[in-house]
Amino acid sequence: MKKLVSMLLLVTMLLSCMTSAFAFEVPAEGYDGSEVTIKFYHTMGSNLTPVLDEYIAEFNKLYPNIKVEYTSVGGYDDVRDQISTEITVGAQPNIAYCYPDHVALYNLAKKVQTLDELIASETVITRADGTTEPLGLTADQKADFIEGYYNEGMQFGDGLMYTMPLSKSTEVLYYNKTFFEANNLQVPTTWDELAAVCAKIKEIDPKSIPLGYDSESNWFITLCEQQNSPYTSAEEPYFLFDNETNRATMKMLREWFQSGYLTTQTLYKAYTSGLFVSTTDVKSYMSIGSSAGAVHQRPQAVDGVYPFEVGIATIPQMNADNKKVISQGPSLCIFKKDNPQEVIASWLFVKYLTTTVEFQAAFSMASGYVPVLKSVADNEVYAEFLASADGGNYISALSAKVCLEQADAYYTSPAFNGSSEARSQVGSLLCSCLTTEGDADAVIEEAFSIAMEECEYAIW
Amino acid sequence: MVESKHQWKAWLYLAPAIALLLVFTVWPIINTVRMAFLENYSGLKAAGGAVFEFGIGNFEKVIKYRRFVSCLKNTVLLCLWTVPISTLLALLIAVALNSIKFLQKALQTVFFLPYVTNSIAIGMVFAAMFNIVGSFYGTENEIIVTAGIINNVIQFFGGEPINWINYGSTYEANMFVMIVYIVWNALPFKILVLLGGLQSINKQYYEAAKVDGTPRRRIFTRITVPLLSPMLAYVIITGFIGGFKEYTSIVGIFGETMGPPDSAGRLNTMVGFIYDALSTNSQGRASAAALILFAIILVVTMINLQVSKKRVHY
Amino acid sequence: MQAKNMQKVSLSQKIGKAFSISLNYIFLIVMALIVLFPFYWMIISSLKSLDEYRMSTPTFWPQVILWSNYLDAFTTANLGRLFINTMIVGLVSTLLSLVITILTAFAFARLEFKGKETLFALLLATMMIPGELFTITNYSTVTSLGWINTYTVLIVPFLVSVFYIYLLRQNFLQIPNELYLAAKVDGTSDWKYLWKVMVPLSLPTLISITILKMMGAWNSYIWPRLVANDEAHRMITNGLRNAFTETSGDVNYPVQMAAVALVSLPLFLVFVFLRKYIMSGVSRSGIKG
Repeated sequence: MKKLVSMLLLVTMLLSCMTSAFAFEVPAEGYDGSEVTIKFYHTMGSNLTPVLDEYIAEFNKLYPNIKVEYTSVGGYDDVRDQISTEITVGAQPNIAYCYPDHVALYNLAKKVQTLDELIASETVITRADGTTEPLGLTADQKADFIEGYYNEGMQFGDGLMYTMPLSKSTEVLYYNKTFFEANNLQVPTTWDELAAVCAKIKEIDPKSIPLGYDSESNWFITLCEQQNSPYTSAEEPYFLFDNETNRATMKMLREWFQSGYLTTQTLYKAYTSGLFVSTTDVKSYMSIGSSAGAVHQRPQAVDGVYPFEVGIATIPQMNADNKKVISQGPSLCIFKKDNPQEVIASWLFVKYLTTTVEFQAAFSMASGYVPVLKSVADNEVYAEFLASADGGNYISALSAKVCLEQADAYYTSPAFNGSSEARSQVGSLLCSCLTTEGDADAVIEEAFSIAMEECEYAIW
Repeated sequence: MVESKHQWKAWLYLAPAIALLLVFTVWPIINTVRMAFLENYSGLKAAGGAVFEFGIGNFEKVIKYRRFVSCLKNTVLLCLWTVPISTLLALLIAVALNSIKFLQKALQTVFFLPYVTNSIAIGMVFAAMFNIVGSFYGTENEIIVTAGIINNVIQFFGGEPINWINYGSTYEANMFVMIVYIVWNALPFKILVLLGGLQSINKQYYEAAKVDGTPRRRIFTRITVPLLSPMLAYVIITGFIGGFKEYTSIVGIFGETMGPPDSAGRLNTMVGFIYDALSTNSQGRASAAALILFAIILVVTMINLQVSKKRVHY
Repeated sequence: MQAKNMQKVSLSQKIGKAFSISLNYIFLIVMALIVLFPFYWMIISSLKSLDEYRMSTPTFWPQVILWSNYLDAFTTANLGRLFINTMIVGLVSTLLSLVITILTAFAFARLEFKGKETLFALLLATMMIPGELFTITNYSTVTSLGWINTYTVLIVPFLVSVFYIYLLRQNFLQIPNELYLAAKVDGTSDWKYLWKVMVPLSLPTLISITILKMMGAWNSYIWPRLVANDEAHRMITNGLRNAFTETSGDVNYPVQMAAVALVSLPLFLVFVFLRKYIMSGVSRSGIKG
């Protein structure tokens, strides 16, 4: 008898799970104050966890029963790999750092909670200090998000909201300002200008590698975007990057490489910032990398003096009328759980991190990322931080400033099952186009066809 | 009564091993077969409630995939090169060691040293020896900071430095480095076993040959090799089995890109293929690949056993 | 005349023999030098400065011996933590594995139960299967057990080694049955007999197993890479590989070589002191670690 009852219970539970598989039904009382522990996976290093700790403590003043346990999993790929295994056995965390590609993967298991119902909810929640807040986002809160960032949460083909933006970065051009000024070089704004500058640098310092570019994948995709050349699509046929324009672009890069102009992270076998700040004979004078990594692009100070000053500029463009730079930086996603209170608690924490101006400011200053809220610009501390920007001690502020300047040029690529494969394939494609010996056209042709084949294989 | 009590006790002794084996050996076997025969099985999709049809699609997909073909080719090539070379070298060294007295123990110890190393750690040493530090290899703008000791030696003898493992290097150069490293790594075990075998050969055979005035080469091919054949069969079979599981030695030299930086996965092997399939959440294909690997090892071992049945003289 | 001839023959034979012996030595010594070269190169590289290492004409002995590379290596690769992790995993798994192996081998060697032969044959058959086949499922099993990034995940799945059971069972079988029967008559329990008589008599095999198991922990790479790749539980081989691929600048090869030397050192020490056991264990195993 007991067995039968428990079986019935199980069946009803399963059924109720199935009906609520897509949307989230917000319980009438919202958060009921119950004690829940939420697990949060991120990639923050020891420079950022103190900021997180501080604001978890602040959050707990409002919600003392929501315990946040975070784990720094390693890199973004580690987060993805760990979660995608944990999902298969139902052991996923509550909140995680994510990129659109990762969410597309988790969506195979239908385990990412869509946020629309939560965002729209007007249920009023009383906090521990007696104040109240609606469970959802107010119109003001929504309006405060930089629109493009907010809309990135809805790029999964069904118009539903899957992620909330936490912080953003893009690629910027770091250059050796001291060297550029001494040799009267202009900072390039287009790729043609860049090639010309590289040629000049090679004349001045033949042992140098003028440009280091960290991410081959970004480079390929950005060049597609800047030329309005197809890359991928969220619907079949998914992979569009094998076209004449892109082949011609790769041929151009190959020529530059063979003229000794550049290297990339994969070829250099380390972040190219190492080459940029190098003190040996072989060094670079320009480096394109994440705006959030500015401190790594600053040379080691000798007796408190930096060997050279770093300048930061926007990346070169193909076409001044079609400026494009990649939008990067972590978003947060919430995973489905059987206990709706866990989901609500996760949402409250995500909402807290993404809408609290003070946290956004503090986190941005510590990380080098830029905030996702417009009103952070009015925050006194943050404004002061930006004002201090220079190519030495306050290099993070400088990169944040450059990053903010080009906010309207941000693009994102479609996210679908296979988008992360496409991303990694175009990166390796670029490398082999640069280095493989043989006839340029044949090498490029081969590299594109291999990349296409790999992408097709990865769709299942 | 005593009997059944005993039985009960025996199972108690076996319990920990059996419990662990059920979870970590038996269940995986069953599950692997299951996943391999479910079309496009993926743990993630399964968690999302997807239903998979029964079929052999995973095997088809895997076998047709160019990376699988190249992994298989790499694995087979490495086996075919390294097993004969290392066996032959080990045999020569063992025979030479067996015929000397002075320094025998010391040399024996030296030859065993590579065994007690970490194949990733020493792989990094080999990589450093073959490595070129610089950029734009093979172009007009080549910058070479250090050519690597092996290239220094080549240059010393008047040759051109070769790009062994860096970007732009050829597949042949990569394979050469791997073969050298794997042979170096495989020698100690083979020498140890063969020397043990040699030392147990009855001295009377050799004395008889001496009386007959048989030339040394004939002694080697007519007495030593036949009498050593069980040991030879043993090192060849284990060499092939080990060869088909080659993975970490490549990680040691090339890192997890399993190839030069611009050609990731070029030297990947069967084992590496399975892990790649695993990390892309296509457990169905990973399982299919694992079963194929198992089948190959089984067949190779069977062939080896058949051949040695005919050739091995006990 | 005849005697003289005899002498001549034996002289030319002697020369021939001396020639072949010296050829032997030359061959062996050349091979030995080739085998040793990577070790030599590792050690001298580890003592050079980066500038000296990068000189286009290599030096075969460091101009200035830079011991500080070893200190750098220790901190860069966080070797201390890695050593501790590896020792913990190695010791615990060896201990538990020995206990399980002894119990199982004893049951198969001395106790009588139904299906003993079949079960043993089945066990041996699993040795044919490549380990990767198990990994796929074990990965999700340990994930569902919540063992990711723990010591448990590095220890438990590999506690049972069919090969060690086989090795020890063979050893147990060699112990004369009379001893067992005599003990029975004396009223000694199986349990007591196992630990008081059989285990001490099989000590050499047990030591071989211990060393192989420890070396296995020291060399393991694939499984830890998959399931315990966090700072707190990372194993030595993984840490070594990671430390010099995740670097943000130029690879400092001398420091890398110093790290490699430090990682190799314990294995060498074990080898120097316990050569006999390693060699006897290895010649029967045909597997590394």
